[in-house]
Amino acid sequence: MKTPISYFGVFLVSAIGLAGNAFGQASYLAGIPRNEVLICENPEGRITNPAWFNIWVVNHGGVSTGLQQLGMDTLWYIDADAGIDGVWDNSLASEKPAYNSDFTQMTVKLRPGIYWSDGVEFTADDVVYTVETQMKNPSTVWGAAFLASVDSVTAPDKNTVVFKLKRPNSRFHAIFTVRWNAAWIMPKHIFEKQPDPTKFDFNPPVTLGPYTLKSFDPNGGWYIWQRRDDWQRTTLARFGEPGPKYVAYIDPGPPDKRVILQLNHELDIIHDTTPEGVFTLAKQSPSTHFWFKGFPYAHPDPTLPAVILNNQVEMFKNRDVRWALALFIDIKAVSLASYRGAATISAIGVPPTGLYPKYYFDPLEDWLKNFEIDTGKSKYKPYDPTVAQQIADSLRPSMGNQIPKDPKEIATAFGRGWWKPNPQVAAELLERAGYKKSANQWMKPDGTPFSITLLVEGEPRPTMTRAGTMIAQEWRQFGIDAKTQAYPSGFFPRVASGDYEAAIAWSVETWGGHPDLSFFLDSWHSEFLKPPGQMQPPRNWQRVSNPEFDKIIEQIRAIGFDDPKGVELGQQYIKVAVKEMPTIPLMSYNVFTCMDTTYWTGYPSAESDPYTDPVPNWANTKYMMVKLKPTGKKQ
Amino acid sequence: MLCRGRWIVEFPRMRAYAWYFIRRLGQFLLVVFVGINVVFIVTHATPIDPVEQAISSATQFGQSDPRAVEIMRKALRELYGLNGTIWEQYVTFWRRLVTGDFGPSLSAFPTPVSALIAQALPWTAGLLSTSTLIAWGAGNLLGGLAGYYRKNRLLKGIGIAATGLQPIPSYIMSLVVLILFGYLWPILPISGGFQMNISPELNIRFLSSVVTHSILPVLSLVLITIGAWFVGMRSLVSNIVTEDYVVYAELAGVDRRRILGSYIMRNALLPQLTGLALSLGAIFNGAVITEFVFGYPGLGTLLVRGVNSGDYSLVLGIASISIVAVAAAVFVIDLLYPLLDPRVKIE
Repeated sequence: MKTPISYFGVFLVSAIGLAGNAFGQASYLAGIPRNEVLICENPEGRITNPAWFNIWVVNHGGVSTGLQQLGMDTLWYIDADAGIDGVWDNSLASEKPAYNSDFTQMTVKLRPGIYWSDGVEFTADDVVYTVETQMKNPSTVWGAAFLASVDSVTAPDKNTVVFKLKRPNSRFHAIFTVRWNAAWIMPKHIFEKQPDPTKFDFNPPVTLGPYTLKSFDPNGGWYIWQRRDDWQRTTLARFGEPGPKYVAYIDPGPPDKRVILQLNHELDIIHDTTPEGVFTLAKQSPSTHFWFKGFPYAHPDPTLPAVILNNQVEMFKNRDVRWALALFIDIKAVSLASYRGAATISAIGVPPTGLYPKYYFDPLEDWLKNFEIDTGKSKYKPYDPTVAQQIADSLRPSMGNQIPKDPKEIATAFGRGWWKPNPQVAAELLERAGYKKSANQWMKPDGTPFSITLLVEGEPRPTMTRAGTMIAQEWRQFGIDAKTQAYPSGFFPRVASGDYEAAIAWSVETWGGHPDLSFFLDSWHSEFLKPPGQMQPPRNWQRVSNPEFDKIIEQIRAIGFDDPKGVELGQQYIKVAVKEMPTIPLMSYNVFTCMDTTYWTGYPSAESDPYTDPVPNWANTKYMMVKLKPTGKKQ
Repeated sequence: MLCRGRWIVEFPRMRAYAWYFIRRLGQFLLVVFVGINVVFIVTHATPIDPVEQAISSATQFGQSDPRAVEIMRKALRELYGLNGTIWEQYVTFWRRLVTGDFGPSLSAFPTPVSALIAQALPWTAGLLSTSTLIAWGAGNLLGGLAGYYRKNRLLKGIGIAATGLQPIPSYIMSLVVLILFGYLWPILPISGGFQMNISPELNIRFLSSVVTHSILPVLSLVLITIGAWFVGMRSLVSNIVTEDYVVYAELAGVDRRRILGSYIMRNALLPQLTGLALSLGAIFNGAVITEFVFGYPGLGTLLVRGVNSGDYSLVLGIASISIVAVAAAVFVIDLLYPLLDPRVKIE
């Protein structure tokens, strides 16, 4: 009676073996040599609406499919890091925006000789069409923003666009300036033929970028782009020929699988993975390149995760309470819990990334060292400039030479100082706010227990969730009834609704390479503050209202984007934010981007060539294409 | 054409069966109606607002002028047709549903939900029907053999392996298979439904690519589901082998293979067939974890995305199909049972 069983076993093994022999050795991409294609992770995963390329419609489909990275273009780019030729790049525009004296008019000069991928010349009419079409359709991605700002847009000649604005706006150009994305220019000659531009799938997309769509998975798993034959007629040509002939953006699956794919050299750029995945690659894959050559490996994005305290909740209206909560936190433990130590910490209200150390961290270091809290009972200087050094030292026994020793390198990789935990001073602040400790539990002035629910995103954002869990634990340790609540779906809308007490999120996003803070700070003005129960527009999730912030914001609005006074005003904002502590800044948003050098070389790096943010869902990724060169390895 | 005598005998049975059919049809329609209504209520009771989700995704990384957000909110609410009362939305939903239209997806606007489902459904149906049929066939065959040849060591070993694999979480099993055949012995593709840069057309190249890419997802599903069929069949066979007619057949010297096939397995298969029908009906729920790990297209991923983005239309569309499929499977089995099993009498 062994026969049927044997048959089954033989069948199973044979099936797998034969299938492997028959198909397993097939080329990874049909018809494309491996050494001609750069394969990047699309962090959006499988695209729900794969055949939709109309990027101007909200919820249209994929963005990080290569569409905005390789196919789109707009007037200006600001790099999150040093930039390929400085942080500011005039892309479709030939020069910086020119405003009139009261910032009610912006004139743009366009770069001549740029063509769409179908051979039609790009002109000012495309820009005018982009703005007017979206203004007629306010449900489009940038339609409402244009409607709120633009009075009229005209094209006096084919290379000039003039915007007349509804009110003075010295930062109007930001809508056309890429940080992560920006308002992309529409091909007028394609869209004007459509009866309803919002119901047009734009498939295949006609591109201004240096690549065109070659093929895509009708199920949204992969997109392959091919370098345009006429790449010289795109804006990127100023920096040379894009290296990869093809670029694929794929959905590689969960973090563990991304690591396996890179170990197999089947995924050149991992967008992000877990700290554990990075440690595996650092150990097992000599061909993997990271932003930092050693710890913390990750690219610090110009985004500042923080403990967002809802300033409209009664207990957080008091600055003493907010500061007390900061002094109960041991950032070293948070760094280890969240990123296994691979975090770049920040005590102040801007991320420690890009050129911000030069603009904000270095100049304010002495002020921070001397900053003093007066509890009424004692005076305390909370800033400890050695915290990052301490984190580095604590990691050195286990990570060895991967941990830098040079203080400058430590500052770049791990950040600088943070607040020294001090339960005694925190207790004095809480007592001054009317709080009392009963047994081991802090009680609010109304006699009820001091409890905090800390909202975290849960499974979709494990590092931030781990940070929140550690902070809640630390607060509990000091007598606060703190717990985390995971809210994976609809996290940001819930934070915007104000239906939360505290959350691990970010309300500070900066240009990274440019010191202007209006990108996030303008929305902190109290004129935009909604009462409790109403949706708060981005990004003042903490719902702070502060006359000092208002004054700084108004002063920034009155000066030009590049005015040196902007840095001074930015520093003033940081000082007010330190005093008021509306949110408790934690660290930059570190992204574990892993780049395989088996087939391609020339990736950006913090130490040798920080020419752009390597995270491949940023639109600036296009600059990487001209720096990447084949290693010569054949398939 | 029945002869008159046979007609007299058969007519009451046919009338009873017709009445049984009508009652079961009524139950089927009621289950579908109640189920879809429950899903409608649940999806609309969710705190996730598709408009706020859309605003959040549109403004999360880019410019977000606070003055503009209010304009966008109003425009999107109008565009998505969410301005009416819940009752108006309910009426619109049923009006569309009876014509097979689930409306536009809110998270992939304006693509119709039916187009998204039609795109994902063949992959889910292919993956899950294949894995279910393989697991069912192999599990029942091996379970039947194990129940009959109880002293066979190999079958005992297979039994231990099958029951040992059964409690392993789907995610772990998928990763183990993936590491084994995708990394340690990298002979099979571990991502996607077919090779990149192939055009999905009905030709040998595409079909062979689809088969190759489905081996590991199918294997991971079969390994964790085969145990249940194995154990169920072994138990059924273990009971049947002690029945008098089996003992009598053995004593009468009937060939053992015939006893196993015709006397034991055939009888034991009836409850397993019910299970198979229910499993096949449930394939419309998708296999989220397997799809996620292997980057395999399908309804599971689509459903999760719909839930996370508050896309009522998409969730309702997938859930409605799933409800109809499971209810239809039960309905068909109910209708077939009296015909397959003479012991079942219709009054």
